[in-house]
Amino acid sequence: MSALTREKAALRLADEHPAPEPSKHLRAGWYALLAVLLIAGGAAIFHRTVNGLATTNLTSITPWGAWIAFYIYFVGLSAGAFLLSSLIYVFGMTRFERLGRMALLTALVAMIVALSFVLLDLGRMERALSALVYFNWLSPLAWEMRFYLIYILLLAAELWFAMRVDLVRRADRSRLARWLSFGSKSLDTARDHRMLRILGTIGVPIAIFGVHGGTGTIFAIVKARGMWFSALTPIVFIVSALVSGTALLALLYILRQKALKRPVDGGMVADLGRLLGAFLLVDLGLLFYEYLVPLLSMAPHDTGVMHLMMEGPYAWTFWILQLGIGMVAPAIILMTRLRESVPLTAVAALMVVVGIVGVRFNIVVPPLITPALEGLPAGQYFPSAVEWWSSAGIIAMGLLLFSLAADLLPVDEDVHVIGGTAHD
Amino acid sequence: MTAAAQDPGSRKEPYWVMVIDLQKCIGCDTCTVSCKAENRTPPGISYNVVMQMEIGEFPHTRRTYVPRPCMQCDRPPCVGVCPVGATYKGESGVVIIDDDRCIGCRYCIAACPYGARSFDFGENYDEMIAFTEVQAPEYGVEQGPRRKGEAPIGTVRKCTFCLHRINRGEEPACVETCIGDARYFGDLNDPDSAVAKLAASPRAFRLKEEMGTQPRVIYLK
Ligand code: SF4
Ligand code: SF4
Repeated sequence: MSALTREKAALRLADEHPAPEPSKHLRAGWYALLAVLLIAGGAAIFHRTVNGLATTNLTSITPWGAWIAFYIYFVGLSAGAFLLSSLIYVFGMTRFERLGRMALLTALVAMIVALSFVLLDLGRMERALSALVYFNWLSPLAWEMRFYLIYILLLAAELWFAMRVDLVRRADRSRLARWLSFGSKSLDTARDHRMLRILGTIGVPIAIFGVHGGTGTIFAIVKARGMWFSALTPIVFIVSALVSGTALLALLYILRQKALKRPVDGGMVADLGRLLGAFLLVDLGLLFYEYLVPLLSMAPHDTGVMHLMMEGPYAWTFWILQLGIGMVAPAIILMTRLRESVPLTAVAALMVVVGIVGVRFNIVVPPLITPALEGLPAGQYFPSAVEWWSSAGIIAMGLLLFSLAADLLPVDEDVHVIGGTAHD
Repeated sequence: MTAAAQDPGSRKEPYWVMVIDLQKCIGCDTCTVSCKAENRTPPGISYNVVMQMEIGEFPHTRRTYVPRPCMQCDRPPCVGVCPVGATYKGESGVVIIDDDRCIGCRYCIAACPYGARSFDFGENYDEMIAFTEVQAPEYGVEQGPRRKGEAPIGTVRKCTFCLHRINRGEEPACVETCIGDARYFGDLNDPDSAVAKLAASPRAFRLKEEMGTQPRVIYLK
C-alpha cells in the first residue's frame, strides 16, 4: 500500500465498491436506443437474407460498397486498439495500463463486428465456412480469413488472462465470474503478465502484417484499380488503424468514466491525445505522398479516381468528412495546448472516429466507380436503406456486446493490481 | 499412328483464341444479343458487350467499336484473388467459375481489368415464357431450371467462350452470328488456322497487354 500514490489509493477504494453504477436513466436510455437499432437492423438484415443482394445498391460495376467500407473500418479499429494494448502488455508503457482490458475488449468486439459485415456482404452467406475449408494461397482474402480467426482467438485469450485474477476474486459472489474463471484459483498475477507479454508479442506482428496490413493487401494487389494498386496501401491501412484505434479508446475511456461518474485521468488522456496527434501527423504525411505521386506522374488510372474523389458528387466526404473532420480539425486540437482540455480531446477523438468512416468509404468506392476499361460505363453508388439500417444494426450489436461485457465483466479493475506488482 | 499421337506429352491441346477484327465490326451488338440468347443470361448480365473506344495516338485518334467478351487470360487476376479457388483456368484454357463453390465475395469482379464479370442478383425476365424453366449449360455443365435463391444466383458469372458449343465442335455463338464476320475462333497451336494467321498480323494487339494478363482475345486494329 505504501508504494501506491494517493491517487491510486483513491482509485483502489473506488474499485473496491461493487460494480460502479451509472445513472439508471442513462443506462436504460442507452439500452433502449440499442434495442431500437437492433430491431430496425434486424429487419433490414432479414430482408437482405431473403431477397439477396438485390436489396443493395451494389452493381456489377461497383461490387463493393458500404458493408466492405465498414468491414475495413472495424478491422482498423480492432487492430489499432490491440496495438495500443500491446504498448502496455508488451512494451511496458504502464501509464496506459488502465486502458488495457478495455483495449482488448474493444479489439475483440470490433473484429466480431467486422466479420459480421463480411458475412452480410457474401452473395452466398450459407457458404461462409467454405472460406476456411478451401484455400487459394495466392488470394490475400483467403489468408485474411485465417488471420482474423487466429487473431480473434488470441484476443479472447489475452482478455481472459488480463481479467483472470479479478474473475477469481469475484468467483464467490458472481456465477458468471466463477464460470468464466474456468476453475482457475490462483491470485498470483505474475503468470498472467508473462502470458500477456507472450500473447501480445505474438499478436503484434499478426495485427500489423496479418490483420490490417493484410486487409490493405487485399486492395493493394488489384492492379486493375487506380489508387488501390500501390505498395503504400497496406502501410496506410496500418497507420490509419493506429489513428482510429487510439481515438476510439480515448473516446470510450472518457465517455465511460463520465457515464459511471468516475474521475477522468487527465494526464493519461493528454498522453493519449499526444499519441493520437503523432499518428495523425504520420497519416497526413502518407496521404500527401499517396496523392502526390500519382498526381505528378499523371498516371491516368489513379488521377481518374482522384478527380472523382475530389470533384465528384461525393467530394464532400473527402474534403469535409475525411480531411476536415477526420484529420485537420483534430490535428489542430491535438497539436496545440487545446489538448489539455479533456472535453476537447474527446471531441477530437470523436471527430477522428467519424472522419475515418469517410476514409474507408473513399478507399472502397471511388476506384470501383471509375470503369475498369475505358469505354465501359461508370458506376453510381450510394448505399440503400437496407445497407444503412443493416449497418446500424450490426454496429448496435457491437455496442451491445461491449456494453454488456463492460457491465458484467471486470473490465477496469486491474489498476491496483498491475500498479502494485508492476512489470517484473 | 504418328509419333506425336502416341506420345501424349507432345500432343498439343488446342489453344483456343478469339480474334476480333475491329475494322469489320460495325457496332451492331448482334454478338451481345446472340450471347444473351445462347446463354440465357438474366437482366443486368451480359457476358459480351460492345464498347466504344478511342484507338490510336493523338491527334490520329478515331472512335472504334470494341466488342468485349471475357479475355480468358492466361494469367488471370480474377483467379489469383478468389479466396476459395472457385474460379480457375480449366484444361480447355477457358477460365471457369464453379458456381457450386463461389461464395459471392465479388473480389474477382473488382480484380478483373476488363470488367468482364457480373454478379447474378437474381433478377429474371419474368415476361419471357419459360425463362426460369431451363438455363444454358455453363462451362459445359447442365444447370437445370433457374430457382429463386439457388446458384448461380448470388454468385459471379462471365463469358464461357461458349464452352458447351466448343465441346460439340461448334464456334461460340457470337462468332457464328457476327454480321460483319469480324470474329474468328480457333486453335492457335494449329499454324494453318485462320486465327494463327491473323494473330501474326501486324494489326494484332491485345487489351491492356502491359498488365501481363495475357488475354486470349486478340484484336486487329
Ligand atoms: S478477362 Fe477478367 S474475368 Fe476474364 S479471365 Fe481475364 S481477368 Fe478473368
Ligand atoms: S465471387 Fe466467387 S469466384 Fe469471385 S472471388 Fe469470390 S468466391 Fe471466387
